[in-house]
Amino acid sequence: MEEPRIGVYICECGVNIAATVDVPAVVEMAAGLPNVVIARQHKYTCSEPGQQMIQDDIRELGLNRVVVASCTPRMHEPTFQRALQGAGLNPYYFEMANIREHVSWVIHDKPAATEKAKRLVRSAVARVAFHEPLEPRREAVEQAALVVGGGIAGIQAALSIADSGYRVYLVEREPSIGGRMAQLDKTFPTLDCST
Amino acid sequence: MMDAGRHPNITLLSYSEVENVSGYVGNFDVQIRKRARSVKEDLCTGCGTCQEKCPSKVIDMAYEAGMGKRKAIYRPFSQAIPNIPVIDRDNCLWFTKGRCRVCAKVCPTGAIDYDQQDEIVTVKVGAIVVATGFAMWDPKQLPQYSYGESPNILTGLQFERLTNASGPTLGEILTAEGKKPERVAVIHCVGSRDENAHLYCSRFCCMYSLKHAHQVRDKTGAEVYDFYMDMRAFGKAYEEFYERIQREGVLFVRGRGAEVEVLADGKLRVKGEDANLGRPVFVDVDLVILATAIEPHADVGKVASIFGLGRTPDGWFAEAHPKLRPVETSTAGVFLAGSCQGPRDVPDTVAHAGAAALEVVRLFNQGEVTISPTVAVVDQAKCVGCGECIISCPYTAIHRNADGKAQINAALCHGCGTCVATCPSGAITALHFTDQEIVAQIDALMAALV
Repeated sequence: MEEPRIGVYICECGVNIAATVDVPAVVEMAAGLPNVVIARQHKYTCSEPGQQMIQDDIRELGLNRVVVASCTPRMHEPTFQRALQGAGLNPYYFEMANIREHVSWVIHDKPAATEKAKRLVRSAVARVAFHEPLEPRREAVEQAALVVGGGIAGIQAALSIADSGYRVYLVEREPSIGGRMAQLDKTFPTLDCST
Repeated sequence: MMDAGRHPNITLLSYSEVENVSGYVGNFDVQIRKRARSVKEDLCTGCGTCQEKCPSKVIDMAYEAGMGKRKAIYRPFSQAIPNIPVIDRDNCLWFTKGRCRVCAKVCPTGAIDYDQQDEIVTVKVGAIVVATGFAMWDPKQLPQYSYGESPNILTGLQFERLTNASGPTLGEILTAEGKKPERVAVIHCVGSRDENAHLYCSRFCCMYSLKHAHQVRDKTGAEVYDFYMDMRAFGKAYEEFYERIQREGVLFVRGRGAEVEVLADGKLRVKGEDANLGRPVFVDVDLVILATAIEPHADVGKVASIFGLGRTPDGWFAEAHPKLRPVETSTAGVFLAGSCQGPRDVPDTVAHAGAAALEVVRLFNQGEVTISPTVAVVDQAKCVGCGECIISCPYTAIHRNADGKAQINAALCHGCGTCVATCPSGAITALHFTDQEIVAQIDALMAALV
């Protein structure tokens, strides 16, 4: 395994994180961790300049691993993975520490929040060192759709997909499609008929 | 509705239910149970003679919401699609008592088939739209509304049938005694915004209640008392509609209609509080319309497990993100449309369904899907072929190969790690979540900070 060269980026998320976590203290701790080449903070790491900063460091400092401590990975993991890919690094050389939902939004005490943020960042750095490059697989898509339910929503979705040229299997539990709509008299606010 | 029945690209499977879904985004295998209609679809011309001659009448709890009757062989309504009846075997004389067979005798094409069996249809699809809608909450759960104690206390849906030209009174608004009502009460939020029933707002009842008030005024001239907590007329042209109904002379009472009492003479006494006047109100009326809540179907849990859907605490199917991903779900390739995700009125349902359709079309246009490589792999040298992992896998992604060892189908694997934890030989590794990675992470988490 090549020697890990890790970049660590602590996000302020405006004041979402910075108001509760002592971000410079986390950066200082991260800078002293094994294999960490650079540790920085940014107001909005997910922004264009934030991503640019990471990409520049990858190229200029020869980083081969990246840790971002910010929000939940459900939000921006794909964003940062794309940034790595853009700088020529495998996107699975990335690790995220959630110091917003798991720290600043749930802990009000600043020293306690800062300590938890430090621990999460340190564990992400320890973990990322062992990451291996992975390649996503591509699979063909069967060009037909199943629509379950033949009410307004199902009929509308089925027609839009079918009009786009694709096969649709429309499954309805009742003997007829139409759903609730077929039971209604006039509908608000136009008082036009429903079927 | 007719367009969907006729579209050359749409295969309609009515009277059918999805039983099982396997596979993954782009490649789902779906098993559908096509229930026996007891009518041969290819022979039936939809002439309706069988329905006309059938001697068994049943109260129609589905389409007529209990307000009307249907036969044991029936189309739910006259414009039904497909225009093919079904035999309700629980109420058909042939199936229950072994006599009758009138429908078979009168059918001009010999389409009646009492021996027809359910059929399992298997289809392969790349994407799924779940549009299973909602159920009506039963107001008997809150006894203060006396629902079921008088035939003149209706749910909103029952009133729809009463005022509908195709309904039991051909659209005349009449009490159960067949008289024009002189006073009518409409009560909002029955079962909605109520900690004893559903906390959420059912979203479209305010508007349909206004419409009901209008229809009563328009067709009968009766006095209408509309009990509301807050008027949620939030959509385009909705507030204007509310203004219009006020001008039509509907009497609005701000405050929850708290109780309905059936009086000795059959009249209905609605009790509530007028919050604006700060005092209790009593109104005696001939007809009460309850704007009942909607709720997820009783079998929502089963449907969620078939399609791999999550649910929000209120029971509806969970979207991937409450603002940014309103139709995607936690299972890639499965999308939500309409009220199965939460209460929606017609315009919002149409828009939501359009968004779901676009996600499907986008996937199809891309032609291929990217599948995460963070899956589990088996070290064939370490595997002893005990099969524990096969049992533990929630995605049926593991099978035994020709050597009797475990083999993981990466396309089906979600990388959940259950097999890794189960394997007694330590032969399975979850890529990107190796023991080495996880232990390093835990050690760094637990060590003291310097």
